[in-house]
Amino acid sequence: MKIAAWILSAGMAFGAAQPPIPAWQPDDLKALKSGELIPGLLLLTEDATPESPAPEVPAPPAEEIAEAAKPAPEVAEQYLEAYFGARPEKFLVDPQGLLGAKDFRDRENFLKYHSGDSEIDLFVYLFDGHQEIPSEVREEEIVERHFSSGKPAVVVYYYLGAPQKSDIYVSPLISDVVSAAEQRRALASSVEEALEKPDKLAQFEAFCVQLAIRIYWMERAAGLVRDVPSQPVTRPEVSPVAEPEGKHGKIAAKIHEVVAQWGASAAIMTASVLTVVSGVWFARRKAKYRFPVFDVPPRLGGAHAAGIGAVISFGSTTQSPSSQRNDVPDYLGL
Amino acid sequence: MKCPRCVQVIHRGATVCPHCGFGLAEVDAKYGGEDVSLRRLADVAGLIRNRERGKVSAALDGFSRKFPQLFFAVYTGSGQGGGNLRQFGFWLMNRAAFEDVPVDRPNEAGILLVIDADSKSASVTWGYMLDPFLTEEDTFQCLSRAHAYWLEGRYADGTVRVIAQLEKVLKKKAAQARRDPERFERKVAPPQRTGEIARRIREGHKHAAAKTTEVAR
Repeated sequence: MKIAAWILSAGMAFGAAQPPIPAWQPDDLKALKSGELIPGLLLLTEDATPESPAPEVPAPPAEEIAEAAKPAPEVAEQYLEAYFGARPEKFLVDPQGLLGAKDFRDRENFLKYHSGDSEIDLFVYLFDGHQEIPSEVREEEIVERHFSSGKPAVVVYYYLGAPQKSDIYVSPLISDVVSAAEQRRALASSVEEALEKPDKLAQFEAFCVQLAIRIYWMERAAGLVRDVPSQPVTRPEVSPVAEPEGKHGKIAAKIHEVVAQWGASAAIMTASVLTVVSGVWFARRKAKYRFPVFDVPPRLGGAHAAGIGAVISFGSTTQSPSSQRNDVPDYLGL
Repeated sequence: MKCPRCVQVIHRGATVCPHCGFGLAEVDAKYGGEDVSLRRLADVAGLIRNRERGKVSAALDGFSRKFPQLFFAVYTGSGQGGGNLRQFGFWLMNRAAFEDVPVDRPNEAGILLVIDADSKSASVTWGYMLDPFLTEEDTFQCLSRAHAYWLEGRYADGTVRVIAQLEKVLKKKAAQARRDPERFERKVAPPQRTGEIARRIREGHKHAAAKTTEVAR
């Protein structure tokens, strides 16, 4: 007990040796009591730090303000006819030659492939990223004019290097079934895919691929394509006779060939052989065997016969016929 | 050619056995000197069932058809004694008158099968006409074919087997006889007399001397 009391008192003494509790300064304590100072107020207020003075930004010059106000360059008038004069013959419309020949061919092939695989064509009008379509060109009207007939199509105005500027339109045939929201979602999805790519060619490729995918869903929503309910693929029934039939067919054909070539001869030969064999069999069956008659002098007083043949016993089942052959002379009439 | 009693070889034309003096008179004294009337199939011992008689008769008819000169007869009896079966066969072939055998087929052309049920023995005897063509060994082969059947008491089947085997043997002998009849004739030709042999030897010497003289000249 004493030891416990000693340990407790020693611990209290050690705790008393810690740094002293902070004490109020007389001014702070006076302000606290008067209500001027609220503890923790510094943490609850946003203006914790004093505002630094805003740097002095020079005002833009008048030339720069004039350039910023200048709109982006429009597509040259010389290309307008090629762009919007008629329904395009190719799926990728690039009269300005913004793409290289190889890139143009690759994208055109992709769009052709999509057209062959889908019920909705995808037409892409390609512009440069900083270009604007002239205000007198009304995109909706162009689409209505050129894509009202024929195969349904999705028309996209794509700006190379600035996919976020792209616009999407659908031909009137599917505008009723593909809502504007669905169109916007398809475009937004494609733009997102494009923006993940580092360069403008890769962006354009990703944009086309993603849009083709979305069109795949569009055509199902429009009822142009119906999913065929998947059915278990049944193994084609191969009847067990089928393969042998093939083999037998070959054999039968071979037999027919041989019969056609040698049938008559074989038949005659067979008939001849059968005739000969049956004739021989019949002749032998009907054959009569005769013996020459010799003058044999009688023996032992017998007028007709004295030919003495073998005598055999069949009393024992364990002995062979040879061992049961009776050659013992029967002397004196025993 | 053997003696039915002592089974010793005897010469052609012997009136009695030179070894034991056996002759027909001895068996006549035992079995009777009168002819006995028989049918080809004489089943005296009753070994062949009625329904099997047709099978045996057909075999006998077939034999007669194939060999127009010959006939085959079957006799089943008892009390003949194993050792006396040869003598009984010899006697029966000389004293039997077969009712159902055409007259153009005398006993000389006959073959007789005797089956003794008591002694469980069987023997074959034949007429003079077949002397050149049949041997004791041939008949043993025929009897051997029937041995298994007779052991089981199937006498009809055994008899048919004997006849079938005998047909094979005789067909072969007939073909051989057609090609070379002298070969069989020599077996039964009467023995040449001693004087005739001496005469031939002397003639042969004369021919040889004449040829030698011609060559010397």
